[in-house]
Amino acid sequence: MKRLFVVLVLGLLPVSAYATDDVANDATPPTTDHAALIQAVTNKHILPRYEALAETGATLAETATQHCSGTGPALRAAWGKAFDAWIGVSHLRFGPSETDNRAFSLAFWPDSRGKTPKALRGLILKGDDTLLMPAAFAVQSIAVQGYYAMEYLLYDPEFATLGAEGFRCDLVKAMAGNIALVTAAIRDDWVNGYAQTLITAGAEGNARYQTQAEGVQELFKALGTGLQVTSDMRLQRPLGTLDRPRPDRAEARLSGRSVRHVILSVEALDELAGLLSTGAPSLAGQFHDGFGYVREAALALDDPTFATVSDPGKRLNIETLQAVLEDLREIAAIELGAHLGVVAGFNALDGD
Amino acid sequence: MVSRRGFIAGALAAGTVPTMTWAGLGDVLFLSAAQDSGGAYRLFGLGAAGDPAFSVPLPARGHAAAAHPTAAEAVGFARRPGNFAFVLDCTSGAVLHRLETPEGRHFYGHGAFSIDGNMLFTTENDYEAGQGVIGVWDRGAGYRRVGEFASGGVGPHQVCRVPGRETLVVANGGIETHPDSGRAKLNIPMMQPNLAYLSPGGEVLERMSLPGGMHMNSIRHIAVRGDGLVAFGMQWQGDRLQAPVLFGVHRQGAAPRLLDPTDEDHRALHGYVGSVTFSKDGREVAISSPRGGVVQVIDVAAMGVDRSVAMPDVCGIGASDAGFVLTSGDGHVARYEGDALRSVAQHDIRWDNHMVGL
Repeated sequence: MKRLFVVLVLGLLPVSAYATDDVANDATPPTTDHAALIQAVTNKHILPRYEALAETGATLAETATQHCSGTGPALRAAWGKAFDAWIGVSHLRFGPSETDNRAFSLAFWPDSRGKTPKALRGLILKGDDTLLMPAAFAVQSIAVQGYYAMEYLLYDPEFATLGAEGFRCDLVKAMAGNIALVTAAIRDDWVNGYAQTLITAGAEGNARYQTQAEGVQELFKALGTGLQVTSDMRLQRPLGTLDRPRPDRAEARLSGRSVRHVILSVEALDELAGLLSTGAPSLAGQFHDGFGYVREAALALDDPTFATVSDPGKRLNIETLQAVLEDLREIAAIELGAHLGVVAGFNALDGD
Repeated sequence: MVSRRGFIAGALAAGTVPTMTWAGLGDVLFLSAAQDSGGAYRLFGLGAAGDPAFSVPLPARGHAAAAHPTAAEAVGFARRPGNFAFVLDCTSGAVLHRLETPEGRHFYGHGAFSIDGNMLFTTENDYEAGQGVIGVWDRGAGYRRVGEFASGGVGPHQVCRVPGRETLVVANGGIETHPDSGRAKLNIPMMQPNLAYLSPGGEVLERMSLPGGMHMNSIRHIAVRGDGLVAFGMQWQGDRLQAPVLFGVHRQGAAPRLLDPTDEDHRALHGYVGSVTFSKDGREVAISSPRGGVVQVIDVAAMGVDRSVAMPDVCGIGASDAGFVLTSGDGHVARYEGDALRSVAQHDIRWDNHMVGL
């Protein structure tokens, strides 16, 4: 069986060192207490990250009201920070983020059929300002909302000159304003109710999580979701096949953020996996080493948009990142699942 | 480990045997894909007692099968995004033919025969276009692929033929995937599942979609009663607690009727229906949820849950004269008759999603 450490020992990438110690997790007292585990993940992982999402969303909206030009450095910086915060929660797809399609309106990706540029083009050429009022914009296609749609206005040369400048400016403000509203709504729902619902999993009258195990399973599934998205979509989609690599499928390549997103994602997943592995230091160590390796190796690529998927000599470096993430998926599904007592059955896991 | 090429050669060398009819078939009542105790994938023939009568090795994980209407022959399909299918002699388990999808297509795991059994129709993905396709294979020509047509949607999962007619009914699950990104779902916020009725030439006769608020409810598995009533089970792609109803029935030309479950019965499905099977008399439908570890029997006239039973990792459902036969991913074969669930066999085998009645 292929294993993470086999890949590491092969030394396929020019990475000088990766962490083998596990200070953070060894410092945590061993426990299999589900209630404490849920509380720790909620308070140390979920709430701070959604708070950051709402804060950066609000800053983005404020910045856009003052600097709406897509090429302006202040707007690009605020958008970048807000997008960073989104990637840091993009694996937490349950509860408030799924109400009213909020997460999809923040992040319509992957856009496998090119709906976003098409819909944006239509909107800009139509030039109807009434569609940009907050209530009207919120019900437009999710393809024109969120961080990924905004990237076109900030970084795509075609959109820099399309239609009227005044309309593009108002569109940027509408997008940023909508991001602020949606991220605040998610944060508010977490703070004002959902965190408590999750923490009290298994309590009398908790209709959402009838047992503590269901609460733990939700968090366990979030780790699997994050691993799948980063492995299958952030890496495998641009890798395509050896005969047909697909560099144009790299996430957020217009702004050169593709590798950055992999790094932000594995940092968030490392934090979550560490908390979920509480009480199992060797398991926590495997996660921390694996995610740390992916992070360092991604930085070492020196290829921010995975353009080298088309370079037969360098492609293997990106394939290796993906192979390590696949190993981590297996460790999560089998070993972490067993540690938490939430291993899914052969059919339950299938999804067909 | 045997290489795939070597495996195929070996499987085909098992040879061709004269065609037998179902009447000549002994004890084999169901087919089911499975993973054996060694981790290898096989397609099994199951007898009435729940014991394997034969098995055939598969190069990768299987999914469902299609039984020929008259000959004792069935086609077992790869699980998506696989590209193989095997035609089996169900008396001996011998492999008669091997099918492979053309370039740019993969199987979804289900198929159906024409009335005379001369044509096989398979659900496939044209993954570059992101569109569903029905592949057409000519049995008389050794299961040569002779054509294909649009499935009427994205992600066609199960196809059945309406009994007594050539009309095909297809569950277009609505979910776009591409083998480059494994089984990752690429279009959840935009997905538009439907139930499509197609002529054997590919003409769309009717398309049934559920109201807009249910567009993330993937119509995935279907069963058709003798009079053409289609039962469909769905898999919700959003947050589990927000899942709408997961089962309905539809008749061509009429409006769909949806299940009216209690909150408890609805919740027990965990947003996911894995298999759908009519009872022999057609008055009931059994649906399974491996995620909820439950089977519910629905009274079709009332569209309510009549009874349900817990069984861990259950998914495959077959109909028997006395009720239903269930299989699970932890190796159980059980009879569900009236309110009673009786285990009839347990093997070190992980029974896969579907049991196909022969």
